Amino acid sequence: MNVLIVEDEKSLSHEMEIFLTKQGYNCDVAFNGKSASEKIFVNAYDFVLLDIGLPDYSGFDLLKEAREASRDAAFIILTARSETDDKIKGLDLGADDYLAKPFSLLELHSRMQAITRRKHGLTTNTIQIGDFLVDINNRTIHYKTQPVNLTRKEFDLLHYLALHKNRVLTRMQLTEHIWGDVMEEDYDSNYIDVHIKNLRKKLGAFAATDWLETVRGIGYRLNQ
Amino acid sequence: MKLQVKLAIYNALSKGIIIAAFGFLMPLIVEQVVYDHIDKRLIARSDRVLKIISRGGINEIILEQDCSFESYNILKEEFVSIVPLSNDAIAPETFITNEEWDVGGDRLNHRIIRQAFVYDNQLYQLNIGEGLGTIDQLNRIIVQFSLTLMILFIIISVFIDIGFARLMLRPFNKIVKEKLQLTRNPASYNFETIKTTTYEFSYLDRSINELMRKTRQAFLIEKEFIANVAHELLTPISILQNRLENMIIGNEVPVEFENKILESQKTLSRLSKIIKALLMISKIENDQYLKQETVHLPTLVEEIIAELEELIEEKNIIVEKVLEETRDFGPCNKSLLFTMIFNLVNNAIRYNNIGGKICIRGKAGIDTYIIEIEDTGIGIEENQLENIFDRFKRFNPKDGQGYGLGLPIVKTIADFHRIGIRMVSKVMKGSTVILTLPVIQKAK
Repeated sequence: MNVLIVEDEKSLSHEMEIFLTKQGYNCDVAFNGKSASEKIFVNAYDFVLLDIGLPDYSGFDLLKEAREASRDAAFIILTARSETDDKIKGLDLGADDYLAKPFSLLELHSRMQAITRRKHGLTTNTIQIGDFLVDINNRTIHYKTQPVNLTRKEFDLLHYLALHKNRVLTRMQLTEHIWGDVMEEDYDSNYIDVHIKNLRKKLGAFAATDWLETVRGIGYRLNQ
Repeated sequence: MKLQVKLAIYNALSKGIIIAAFGFLMPLIVEQVVYDHIDKRLIARSDRVLKIISRGGINEIILEQDCSFESYNILKEEFVSIVPLSNDAIAPETFITNEEWDVGGDRLNHRIIRQAFVYDNQLYQLNIGEGLGTIDQLNRIIVQFSLTLMILFIIISVFIDIGFARLMLRPFNKIVKEKLQLTRNPASYNFETIKTTTYEFSYLDRSINELMRKTRQAFLIEKEFIANVAHELLTPISILQNRLENMIIGNEVPVEFENKILESQKTLSRLSKIIKALLMISKIENDQYLKQETVHLPTLVEEIIAELEELIEEKNIIVEKVLEETRDFGPCNKSLLFTMIFNLVNNAIRYNNIGGKICIRGKAGIDTYIIEIEDTGIGIEENQLENIFDRFKRFNPKDGQGYGLGLPIVKTIADFHRIGIRMVSKVMKGSTVILTLPVIQKAK
């Protein structure tokens, strides 16, 4: 899948490029609105990651323009201005999602995956984890035919681990995904441990959960 | 005191003084005028009488030696008398005087002209008088009437003055109300000039507009500055965070550094949250949040408790809630209100003991809805209680531990919505936060 990263901060776009390339995306980079505009008209992209605060172009103008030129691309707005108005305006202009800087690359990736799923209307919106079947659309989890009762946050946590399986997710990344911005700056991310403990207890009542690994001092990994 | 009242009082007083002076002088003036008229008449009459006498054409008035003559009309308002004087007396000058005169047995006040003349070698004095009784009465009536009229005039003019002053001051009141009181922030200021024909008011209006133009400029610069600072600070944090993330994901670093990178990520995340919190406070204080929603408070509290349910369960905390029904609160910013109550309930959990208790009470008053959040946690020392909402003081608490920016945010949101907030606390017993929200409750 082709991704255009429109970001005037070169170091940042570089980090995004490294990460996304590793995830199997073909990355193209534009450092200003003009070159972004040209690239969007010439190439077909699946994703355009658009920084709203560009030096030469209003990100919103570019978004409007690019939306018309490239109807298939999904647009994700990246901004350091966490203005709610900006968010609404961006989504109104046809952006598919919105991420406030600083964001986690994993978060970016999972948003992109979610958009892909939405766009292609994947019928098999289920993930098999061990003996459990996770239905993403209906937000349910089953052991064979028996439903497992999870809280919203427990489900989100399991889902996020499953999306990034075989990779260590730090407590902070998990906290940020689950709580977003509402938690305070010195918030104790040990709550993640609590959620994991509950998850293991609830799932463990049905089958072994050895696929959910604690990585000492760092976080958790879902192995498959 | 209101200017219009002052003006009315001034006008009434100044007119009153003029009228009082007039009222004092008028009887004298009227009297003078009346006497002038009477005197002229008296002189003309005495001239006529003397002419008749000198022509000897009044033979019917037989002047006999030492015989005086007196005649008066029925109402005794006029009389003519001729009195012989002893011949050796010096003829007195002609003069006019007010005197009581015995007219047919009544002593009445008269204006009298006395003139001496010689007839037949005999010196006589001619006295012609005109009664002053009716004239005095007339004088009194005129004075009374004009005084009444003038007092009436003062009263009417005071009312007209008040009305006119109010009319004249209307643009001024409009300027104060629309330009100063209704302007919550310079961005929403209305630059339209207020219609007035009074130079001073249009001058005031222009000056306020000029001031607001400058203020708005400064305000916009500050707003832009905040947005820029946010951008400038958050972008490098973004770069660092993504770089650290890539290092962990890419397995590029030896295990012994992994923990350090994780710690760095935590620090970075803390930094970015502090910046976001300060940014939020500054944006609320600059009125950059909309207040267009209404919120059903009991529902909002329920939502927040549900959001925090797992943390509550984890600490085995019992939550008791009694939420009375209330009218919706608004206009407000729902997400800010959510953050405010979320932070408070979150603190009640966070600083609580395992197996503790949280009581959330919602009480509907006449024009308020009071939300109390009481916990059985560690509490706060009394000397720190007053600084708990202060974002500048909290960085230096005695024990070196901060409380985060959660409470300063709560306070800022409360102020933004004119919500009263106070906290009572006892160390090791727990704290209670009391929010007083202005909700006008209507009788059911």
